[in-house]
Amino acid sequence: MTTPLLSVEDLVMHYKVRAGYIQAVDGVSFSLEHGRSLGLVGESGCGKTSIAVCLLRLLPDNAEIRGGNIFFDGADLVALPEDEMRRYRWDRISMVFQAAMNSLNPVQRVGEQIVEAMQTHWESISVAEARERVAELFDLVGLQASFIDRYPHEFSGGMRQRAVIAMALSCNPDIIIADEPTTALDVIVQDRVLRKLEEIQRRLDMALIYISHDIAVIAEVSDRIGVMYAGHMYEVADSVDIFERSLHPYTYALIGAFPSIKGERKELKTLPGEPPDLLDPPTGCRFHPRCFRALDICSQEIPPMRDYGGGHLAACWNPLEVD
Amino acid sequence: MADNNVIMRVENLEKRFPVSRGMFRKPVNFVHAVDDISFAIPEGESLGLVGESGCGKTTTGKCIVKLYEPTGGHIYLRSRDTEDYVDLATIEGKRLKRFRRRVQMIFQDPYESLNPRRTIFDTVAEPLKVQGMGSVSEQEERVAEMLTVVGLVPASTFMFRFPHELSGGQRQRVAIARALVVEPIFVVADEPTSMLDVSIRIGVMELMSELAERMGVSYLYITHDLAVARYMCQRIAVMYTGKIVELAESEELLAKPLHPYSRALISAVPVPDPRLSRDVIEIKGGIAKPIDPPPRCRFYARCQLADKYCEENDHPPLEDKGDGHFVACYKV
Repeated sequence: MTTPLLSVEDLVMHYKVRAGYIQAVDGVSFSLEHGRSLGLVGESGCGKTSIAVCLLRLLPDNAEIRGGNIFFDGADLVALPEDEMRRYRWDRISMVFQAAMNSLNPVQRVGEQIVEAMQTHWESISVAEARERVAELFDLVGLQASFIDRYPHEFSGGMRQRAVIAMALSCNPDIIIADEPTTALDVIVQDRVLRKLEEIQRRLDMALIYISHDIAVIAEVSDRIGVMYAGHMYEVADSVDIFERSLHPYTYALIGAFPSIKGERKELKTLPGEPPDLLDPPTGCRFHPRCFRALDICSQEIPPMRDYGGGHLAACWNPLEVD
Repeated sequence: MADNNVIMRVENLEKRFPVSRGMFRKPVNFVHAVDDISFAIPEGESLGLVGESGCGKTTTGKCIVKLYEPTGGHIYLRSRDTEDYVDLATIEGKRLKRFRRRVQMIFQDPYESLNPRRTIFDTVAEPLKVQGMGSVSEQEERVAEMLTVVGLVPASTFMFRFPHELSGGQRQRVAIARALVVEPIFVVADEPTSMLDVSIRIGVMELMSELAERMGVSYLYITHDLAVARYMCQRIAVMYTGKIVELAESEELLAKPLHPYSRALISAVPVPDPRLSRDVIEIKGGIAKPIDPPPRCRFYARCQLADKYCEENDHPPLEDKGDGHFVACYKV
């Protein structure tokens, strides 16, 4: 196996609040290879966005990386001083934020905003060169060149989202992180944006981390899928394996609870209870209070991540489908 | 009105919103948010109303519960005891208030729809008070019973809590209890589960189906999510800019959509299984707000099948193409 482009090891990130620490990301490990796509899936508050924030080191004031490493191209992003981190952020790893379509400046032409972003990172680039690149990027994301000098309000929601993707691509990153980029869009527009994103990722041979609560969207865009619950990563495997051979009961429950319009009308499975309070999460496996396969050990010790063959990783004391 | 199994019959419903140009000018244009739609819902059945944002599905729901005054058409509701129908579109005052008991609404966002300063008891008991149903102790009993039914048990521990002390799923259960406490026969549910996480969502969906059966409630289930509609509704109606373009039994509609818009919409829904592929049906352009639209088919400009006939004629009527599969298209 080749060295992965990105390797996150035992990452711990907590938010400090008056009542203590919210254990948002706790001992998460995963890796990503060049040109591949990884989908991070889980429900609200499972820590998927917090991981993205760690990768870019764009931590809110009350957040703190309290352990672990993020190895990227030979460097540990956790340990880098801020001025060096700046060379990685946006240039090497960029991000499309949740509801990013509303993050464009309404009183500045869209093209200018992208030119400005490029000039901040590539000081040597001239305005003319940058504009030429914007035209290429617009073409790439499927926007007409005539829209470069228009204002955000002249764009539809889907077009704005594509403009934001163009901006994220502007510095030729190795990895693009997309955090629920299509959640606010209607299904037909979402489909267009997703297909465009997949096409660009393939064409530019770029790595993609796609974050969503929607396992259907994740299934469509990801080569590999990581399933998170309450700040822990419980299963990582190739997309088909996640669906065909779920090992962690939470993965199984998540897939079983998701309605589909295709295939036979299977019965949806309910999951008892609610996700835990991360100020005081359950000991051991954080899913154990809701798990139908829980053993005594599940409440006592955190299950280690184990390889079940073919790169199928799971952290569970009593996994499914294993003899 | 021959079919006495029908509990709700909407006929030629229309809602237009004026678009003013300037504060003191008379409105000269109108958004045709709901434009001449008709459907009937038999007792105990739920109809899914699906479509993209701005298609008029929520406006339709709000007209039915009279949060909006329709600008045309009829909303016939069967009364519970007699077999008569009452037109909600025209009744007012005391009679309307009496019928509000029969028709309730559940809203999308459980964080917005509950008053944060009121206890759960106050919230659920409010419709009882408004309708003057029972004494205080009877109301208390009824609320406790309702909270138990929606799974907030033991009810006594929830009664005097405030919305912020509950999770999203629990709040939506409170909203359901409030809607059902007056024993309506018809409920408009506007995206009741779209704000909830997957693992919580199924529980709320199951609860709603179970209550429909147990209390004999029919839903108009408004959603953008076709997969949810498949599980909640016997039939689905697809709306596009104010018009119903297709209406059929759920499995039939999803497996064999006929209208070019439904086909594109259904093809765009991602499938939660990487082993299944789906066809891609491209449609051009985007949705335009129906401000004084031309009389022809609303989908004309984006349709692959459109021709001169579609251009020159009025919007096609919703017609039965066999086995209750209704489509509004000249080309099918």
